[in-house]
Amino acid sequence: MKKSIILALFLILLLGISSAVSAAEEVEVALLYPLSGPLTEAGKRMKSVYEVAAEVINGSYDIQGVPYAKSEGIPGLNGAKITVKFYDTQGSPEVGKAETERILQEGTAKLIIGAYQSAVSKPTSFVAERHKFPFLCAVSSSAALTERGLKYFFRVAPTDFHDSRMFFNFLDDMRKQGKKVENVAIVYEKTEFGVHAMKEVKKRVDESKGIYQVVADVPYAFKSTDVNAEVLKIKAAKPDVIIHATLFSEMTLFAKTYENLGVKSNANLSFCGGYQNPKFASQLKDTVEGYMGSCTFAEDFIRKKAQLKTINEMYKAKTGMNLDGIAMEGFTTLFVAVDAFSRAKATDPESVTQALRTTELVIATLPGKGVKFDENGQNIWIDSTMSQIQKGEYKVVWPSDWATTAMVWPMRP
Amino acid sequence: MDVTIFLQLVISGLLIGFVFSLIAVGLTLIWGVMDILNFAHGDFLMLAMFSAFLMFANLGVDPVFSLPVIVGLLFFVGLLTFRLVIKPVLGYHALIALLATFGLSIFIRNVVLFFLGPDFRVINQSVLAGKRISFLGLHLSLPQLVSAIGCVLITYVVYLFISKSKFGRALRATALDKDTALLMGINTNRVFALTFGLGAACVGAAGGFLVNFYYVFPEVGLNFAILSFVIVALGGFGNIGGAFLAGILVGLVENIGGFFVGPEFKYTLVFILYLIVISLRPKGLFGW
Amino acid sequence: MQNDKNFYIIFSIILIFMAVAPLVIQNTHFQHLLIMLLLFATLSQAWNLIGGYAGQVSFGHAVFFGIGSYAAMAPLTHWGLTPWVGMLIGGVVAIIVALIIGVPVFRLKGHYFAISTFAVAEVVRELFTNWEWVDGPIGLDAPVLEQGFYNLMFYKNKLPYLYIVLVFFFIMMLLTFRMERTRMGYYFRAIKQRPEAAQAMGVHISKYKQYALMMSAFFTAICGALYGLYILHIEPATVLSLDISIKIVLITALGGTGALWGPLLGSIILIPLQEYSRIWLGGTGKGIDLILLGALIVLICIYEPRGIVGLLKRFNFQKGKN
Repeated sequence: MKKSIILALFLILLLGISSAVSAAEEVEVALLYPLSGPLTEAGKRMKSVYEVAAEVINGSYDIQGVPYAKSEGIPGLNGAKITVKFYDTQGSPEVGKAETERILQEGTAKLIIGAYQSAVSKPTSFVAERHKFPFLCAVSSSAALTERGLKYFFRVAPTDFHDSRMFFNFLDDMRKQGKKVENVAIVYEKTEFGVHAMKEVKKRVDESKGIYQVVADVPYAFKSTDVNAEVLKIKAAKPDVIIHATLFSEMTLFAKTYENLGVKSNANLSFCGGYQNPKFASQLKDTVEGYMGSCTFAEDFIRKKAQLKTINEMYKAKTGMNLDGIAMEGFTTLFVAVDAFSRAKATDPESVTQALRTTELVIATLPGKGVKFDENGQNIWIDSTMSQIQKGEYKVVWPSDWATTAMVWPMRP
Repeated sequence: MDVTIFLQLVISGLLIGFVFSLIAVGLTLIWGVMDILNFAHGDFLMLAMFSAFLMFANLGVDPVFSLPVIVGLLFFVGLLTFRLVIKPVLGYHALIALLATFGLSIFIRNVVLFFLGPDFRVINQSVLAGKRISFLGLHLSLPQLVSAIGCVLITYVVYLFISKSKFGRALRATALDKDTALLMGINTNRVFALTFGLGAACVGAAGGFLVNFYYVFPEVGLNFAILSFVIVALGGFGNIGGAFLAGILVGLVENIGGFFVGPEFKYTLVFILYLIVISLRPKGLFGW
Repeated sequence: MQNDKNFYIIFSIILIFMAVAPLVIQNTHFQHLLIMLLLFATLSQAWNLIGGYAGQVSFGHAVFFGIGSYAAMAPLTHWGLTPWVGMLIGGVVAIIVALIIGVPVFRLKGHYFAISTFAVAEVVRELFTNWEWVDGPIGLDAPVLEQGFYNLMFYKNKLPYLYIVLVFFFIMMLLTFRMERTRMGYYFRAIKQRPEAAQAMGVHISKYKQYALMMSAFFTAICGALYGLYILHIEPATVLSLDISIKIVLITALGGTGALWGPLLGSIILIPLQEYSRIWLGGTGKGIDLILLGALIVLICIYEPRGIVGLLKRFNFQKGKN
């Protein structure tokens, strides 16, 4: 017994020693995403897009409006190559925290990009903040993340605030055209993601001073076995517009159940979530015809910006899917990192953070001018557009300067 | 309150309840007879759904026709699991069997992830999928209706088998007292193996039905597995009729309760129901 | 009682190791590993009191864990109250909850008990998810306060966390060891092995089960508080989840249920296995690390169904023969 326990302790000691690290010549960026567990699918898409982004940065590509594509590597660092290394959060704050500490411990990464869920981005970025280490968030949408006054945290994606504002600008516009949109049903998962998104919607409804009413407020449990009760509650309220903050798994259930139970509304709008996953349109086809949602990228964008075709093709070759908004936000985020390295001409945390603070990256990948952070680290040069699923494809339908296709209204003929 | 909405709630609750029932029947067989909580039950469900999906996507076999194959496949998976994982741990602390099936669950889920990837898959065009029957403002989705009928039939067959056949008698004897059954000349290991296979086959059938209206991905089993643990305990361990009725009850509570109390509470209501029932009847609704 | 001497020797070796190793290896991730290892060893030992010694398998220990972490974190976030007081409050609340749960639940046998504890945990989780004061599903983040023992917050260095957890581990182990040798320990074993006989001999079963659950709840809550303060972010989906409840059970089962060294051995195997399989093989998005983890768990069970404790016994026995 004694010997065995001593043996076990000795083995643990070996583990501690073995995790010594080797220095890399390239500039390494650490990426925190859920690569196992229920969110693997999303994490895997992010992994693919970062690999594509690194390829574009390190190779020479002629993509108009995308700086650092033409040059090989990072110009400010004599063309040093960028490498991406992935760390698995398993979708858990605890594991995310452990992995962040490991990144900092290993010391090879010059910057951290992550995470997917807001609930993981929060504690991981706290760890980075305490170590004064730059942390770039690509896709987490909770507005609260950039209301914490962190100095080393920057986010490229639009927040729930931007999306909800876009939704209500859109609804205002519809109202002016005499369309019926006043009665709103809100449907959201009872998690950080859903609750934050809906708080923003409720704020917009309050600001409208009685123009809009929430006729059904339907939170549901993440990982539901069915959504009949939820959908019937919505049906009973007869809303004009349904707003969703729902991930892919439940979004498919909702879509099928709306169809099964004959729920009709004029529009179905989605926050960043299940709707944006290209599989949603391609697998559910007619069931989701006419659904709408916030969109920072869809294949349709290529009609306005032909140069993005190259990137989409590269991504498609890797995953068999078109790029979506979340993936494009990730793509852009790596360019923000490269831009900071290049301008800082150094890779130490302080210089990189300083460079990030003064970022003014004009880049054509996302709607809006590009990337510039406010004092809280939120990107203020980003816009969001509204897309609609038409014949299984995402078409940009609003606002007019981005729209490629006429909107179908109401969503079911 | 609209009457059609209420009726619809009842109908939807029943339809999903029957599916819960069949999943729970599979679990209660294993749990009741062997006193083993099979943590990989949800992953058996996932395996069944994935097999059905793959046969549909690659071979073009509609889930309706692939069902017998799936049931057979899962029966085999159950036998194999018993032989390789369960048998060596029988007779030791019950938690070791739990641990073993937990390990198996992680293993199965990630092997599927490794070979098939994390993507969500949906069957939207098949003999059943996407079709529905409507009357008097009520809607019955055809895949759910067929699933419900199938689940009832299969549960009834299993029930008959257990209560009437010679094997069923051996099974019940083993469940009551393993050692005595052994003395009476019953090959308890064979009974156990077949029970495990049968339990897996039940969940396989449920998966074969479910794939018509539910998405598939490696983690899909968990949602149902947890609910089925409660259903089994609610109905009384090892009681097929109990699991069947408890499954329907849970479907109804989840739908009707969820509607009136708030959808985010629908599983909480199920748990509260369980706690109330169990404090009145410590062995479940139909436990003896 | 020549066993006693053995215990103290092994125990001292472990304590010294845990105290010195992180000083020798200045690797924060290694320190994180030790913290988690000790925390889960303590938790599992607390569970072992009720689940192992008293034989009442609980699938709902997340209730106590969650209560502990919320009791420490919520007053800290809202009023800046020192988490030491919060920790104590959490422990006391957990004991009260254990009392309330215990009365109806101990009438139940076996699996009905296990599922009931799980159901209670799920209901409590839902309560916290809808409780505005603790920010519902969003959870609580520790505010950035001054470092030190008063706020139990250390930014630069992990060692203080490690030593605090080590102290609780020490208390927990010693307590269990002493309990094994008291009247109560014998009662527990009697309850577990022959409840009817124990009752006939005049052992008040429910009372002793209740004691076991209360003790277990108290220490689980303390660990929950430490966990929250260490991770700095808690939410119902993590600290009140089935995952936590199950992990505690599995570590004990892996090590050896109802055995003094079981929980420690279980976490010595499981926690590094989880961490290092992820470090070496994770990050691929293909789950290779988890395939390995699952397979290893199954293999351990098949090879030695008595848990690691059984494995060690076999090992020693065979050596003795030679």
